[in-house]
Amino acid sequence: MSPVVRLLVKRLSISIIVLIGVSMLIFTIARVIPGDPARIALGPNATTEQVEQLREKLHLNEPIWIQYGYFVRDFSRGDLGVSLYTNRPVTTDIAQFLPATLELVIVAGIFMIGFGIPLGIASARYRGKAADNIIRVVSLLGVSAPSFVWAVILMLLFAFFLPLFPIAGQISDTLTVPPRITGFLLVDSLLAGDIPAFLSAAHHIILPAFALALSGIGQAARLTRSNMVETYDKPYIEMAQSYGFPARRIANRYAFRPSLIPSLTIIGLDFAAMLGNAFLVEAVYAWPGLSRYGVQVILRKDLNAIVGTVLVISATFLIVNIIVDLLIAYINPRIRLAERGRP
Amino acid sequence: MNDYLLDIRDLKLAFKNYAGLVEVLHGISLNVRRGEKVALVGESGSGKSVTARIILGLLQELKSARISGSVHFEGQDLEALALRTRLALRGTKISMIFQDPTSSLNPVYTIGVQFNEVLRRGNPDISERDAEARAVALLKDVSIPEPERVLVSYPFQLSGGMNQRVMIAMALANEPSLLIADEPGTALDVTVQAQTLHLMRDLVERRGTSVLFISHNLGVVREFADRVYVIYKGRLVEHGETAELFHRPRHPYTRALMAAVPRITGGGIPTISETDAGFTDPMIDHGVAS
Repeated sequence: MSPVVRLLVKRLSISIIVLIGVSMLIFTIARVIPGDPARIALGPNATTEQVEQLREKLHLNEPIWIQYGYFVRDFSRGDLGVSLYTNRPVTTDIAQFLPATLELVIVAGIFMIGFGIPLGIASARYRGKAADNIIRVVSLLGVSAPSFVWAVILMLLFAFFLPLFPIAGQISDTLTVPPRITGFLLVDSLLAGDIPAFLSAAHHIILPAFALALSGIGQAARLTRSNMVETYDKPYIEMAQSYGFPARRIANRYAFRPSLIPSLTIIGLDFAAMLGNAFLVEAVYAWPGLSRYGVQVILRKDLNAIVGTVLVISATFLIVNIIVDLLIAYINPRIRLAERGRP
Repeated sequence: MNDYLLDIRDLKLAFKNYAGLVEVLHGISLNVRRGEKVALVGESGSGKSVTARIILGLLQELKSARISGSVHFEGQDLEALALRTRLALRGTKISMIFQDPTSSLNPVYTIGVQFNEVLRRGNPDISERDAEARAVALLKDVSIPEPERVLVSYPFQLSGGMNQRVMIAMALANEPSLLIADEPGTALDVTVQAQTLHLMRDLVERRGTSVLFISHNLGVVREFADRVYVIYKGRLVEHGETAELFHRPRHPYTRALMAAVPRITGGGIPTISETDAGFTDPMIDHGVAS
């Protein structure tokens, strides 16, 4: 078995254990917090009998481990139960709302990597000079204010005072939404060959994705800078300089790649953390995503939907981490070749 | 005009810090002829390595460095050259070998990739295939068995001695006229160091490459160099042909340096005073028979 396959198997099995743990935890927490989900779902006018009937139906009168048993049984059939808020299967809800969130987070992730890393490289290459100082101040701003603050500021600046971007939503109201294939609006509109819809969707996603990405951009820039500054002191950089390679090439090739290895883990975690930050950004931009759904179901103590949403977000988190581990193995030959290399 | 390949005159270097100027080199003058192997010997901090870095133009990039004096290479004043022309000399006409081979090679690229880049410095139009063939031939020159396997390896997969050979092969790949060896192999154990030094000597002698050999190891210098400069605290204190200088060291510092070498026959670690009035005596030049 190659080291990479072994790594993958190991990470996957750990992830499954983590998911089981998360499911137990969220299952218990959702049930022990005060408030009767059946009463909340049926409203103040429902009779005690009706509430009792619903509790019975939801197995809420059984001990919690028996309830978890029912959950595992249903889960193994791909059933996460029915949401009391939307009255639809939780799986249907997630399938509807998750793509919009993933789309937002992926675009934000692209911004984070696409702006953060080059800024960090530039900062390290011109360390101590004006460009470095400017980039450091900007990235500090990005890191220090939470995304929802940026969401509001960006909306004010670039949608209200300077109407370059739409205020909210996922696509212009005047356009028909392309047929749903993947759920990713950007992808679906391209698949449908609907260029105006694609452009409108792209136009709508820029501001929320940027607001979501800003702290990640700052973090990525600072990390890349500090790791690269460290790498610049290594003998192999001096050797590259002694061979007269141009400064830009030394930065982008000789110093960047070894420095990326420690940055990548944190960047991966940031990427996954954006799923959580998306809650408030989605609220600000009226983005029809899973995070907004998550807030609604938590407020209504919608047990099945809470567990389903948390599980999906955890799974995404774990998948991103596995991808990051594989990327690190790809750029770090010591991991990739662990078997054959010297210890 | 003279026939010096490298001619350094009255080179001074100081670093500016908050307290003022710290002088590191107090005006050193040395030269290397074509095909000659010249050693610069001194203890750590004496200014050996900074001299090498000034020749390559690496120190000039530091804002805090104050440099005066002249460095002529192949008759050209390096300071007078445009930055571009000066950069173009690095890795082509002048190349350098570093102290610790394993950490001087980039850890995330294979030897083959790094070799390719070096060859491209010399000939930007070289094809992948030619570059590989050339790399294999060069690695064979430094007695590396299975050069093809080494080319697809990463530095951490090779021994220190192997990496040292790779570094020598790279440094000579573009047939430089001057090779600067900064404490080559100091990080390696003595047997490997001896083997790689032999190799390096054979190669440079065959190609007629001039070498500026920087070391603190008198034994190695004696075997390797044609001529020796002894440097102490940024000043040259003695200069002469190797045999003459080792036979009749005249400067108090040179004598102390030679006395400081522990003998394999025992006798304990020699005690020498850290400073001595005589160490700052004027330079003694044995002259060179021409």
